[in-house]
Amino acid sequence: MAADKAYGLWKDWKLHVVVLGIVIIAESIGQFSFTIGPGVVLLLPMLYAIIIGLIVFFTPFISEKQAKNAEPLIVLGVALLLAKIGVIIGPSLPEIIAAGPALLLQEFGNLGTIFLALPIAIMLGLRREAIGMTHSVAREPNVGLIMDKFGMNSPEGRGVMAVYIFGTVFGAVFMGLIAGFLATLTPLSPLSFAMASGIGSGSMMAAASGSLVGSFPEMEDSIVAFAGASNLLSLSTGLYLSIFVGLPLTEKLYAFMMRRKERKNNA
Amino acid sequence: MLKNIQEWTLLLCIFGISALFGNWLGYEIAPLSAVPGMIVLILICLAGFILSDLIPIQFPSVAYIAIIGILVSMPWTPGAEYIVTWTNEVELLALTTPILAYAGISIGRSWADFAKLGWRTLIVASLVLLGTFIGSALIAEVVLRFQGII
Repeated sequence: MAADKAYGLWKDWKLHVVVLGIVIIAESIGQFSFTIGPGVVLLLPMLYAIIIGLIVFFTPFISEKQAKNAEPLIVLGVALLLAKIGVIIGPSLPEIIAAGPALLLQEFGNLGTIFLALPIAIMLGLRREAIGMTHSVAREPNVGLIMDKFGMNSPEGRGVMAVYIFGTVFGAVFMGLIAGFLATLTPLSPLSFAMASGIGSGSMMAAASGSLVGSFPEMEDSIVAFAGASNLLSLSTGLYLSIFVGLPLTEKLYAFMMRRKERKNNA
Repeated sequence: MLKNIQEWTLLLCIFGISALFGNWLGYEIAPLSAVPGMIVLILICLAGFILSDLIPIQFPSVAYIAIIGILVSMPWTPGAEYIVTWTNEVELLALTTPILAYAGISIGRSWADFAKLGWRTLIVASLVLLGTFIGSALIAEVVLRFQGII
C-alpha cells in the first residue's frame, strides 16, 4: 500500500491543520439542495471539501510536497471508511446474501460505458484513443492493463490516462452530483443506484453513496451496505472483467463501427 | 513492521481527529461519545494492514479491512452489538469529508494535466462514468425486482 514507503507523514502538521480547517468550514456550511425538474441535486460538505482543498493547493499554505503527502492519507481515510462500511455490512449480512445475485450480476453493468461512451467517442472523431478511454472506468488496475498491452505512448495509453485524470480530479464531484439526482429523477430504486456506486474507486463510491444517503436518509444502512459490498466486488473482480470481457468487447465493437463507417464513406 | 504500525496508528489518529470534528459540527455528535467508535474503526484498520503485510498473497489491504469489519459486527459474533452501537456514533459522511479534503489538495498536482484535456475528452469521460453507473443500476434493478426484494 501507498503508506508503506513514506515515514514521518504525521509530522506534516501544516497539511493536517489545513485539512482540519477545511473540514470545519465544510461541515459548518452544511447541506444544501436544489431541484432541477423532478430531480434533486444535493450539495454535501464533502463536495465543498474537495473544492476548497483544490483552491488551497494554489495558495502558499500548501506546497507541492504537502500535496504529495496528502496521497497516502487518502488511502488511510478510505481504509477507515471501509472499516465503517464493514461494520454497517455486518449486521445486514443476511440482507446482502439475499441480494447476492443482483450484486454479482450488476458488475456486468460496468460494461455500460462501452455501449454509451464508445459510439459517441467515435462520432466525435476519436480513434484508437477511444478504446483506452471507454473500455472501463479507468482506475489504476485498468490503466495498468492498457499500458501493459499497448504501451505508455500508444493512442490507447493516452486515452486511458485522459479518463484516469478526469476521474481523479472530477470523478467524486461528478458521482456525488449525479447519484442523488438520478435516484430522485428516475423510477429506479435507490438500492439499485447504491449497488451501482461501487465502481472500484473509494472516493467515487463515498461521494455517490453519500449523496444517496443524503437524499434517502431512512435507507442509510441498506444503501451503504450495498454500495460497500459492490465496491468490494468491483475491487476484486474489476480487472478480470476488463481483461476477459471489457477490453475484447471494446475492440470488437470499435472494429465493427469503423468498418461500417468506412463502408458509408465509400458508398 | 513495528515502525509501520506506529506510523499507521499516528496517521489514523490524526485523520480520526479531523473526522470527529466534522462529526460534531455536521451531525451534532459530541466527540467524547464518538471516541469509542473511532477507536474500534482504527483498530479494524490496523488489523487489516497487519494481515495484508503478513499474508503473502496479493489482495488489497482495504478488502481485508472491510472483511474484518463485517466479521466483528455480524449478528452471530459475540459482542457485535457493542461494536455496532459504538460505531453508529461515527457518521459515514463525517469520514468522507476529510478524505475528500486530502483528495482536493492532492488533485491540485493533476490540475495542469486536467486543464489540458480537450472538450471531447470531457464529454467522453463523463459518459464513461455515467454509462457504468446507469448500466449497473439497470441490471441491479431488474435482478432485485425479479427476486422480489424491491
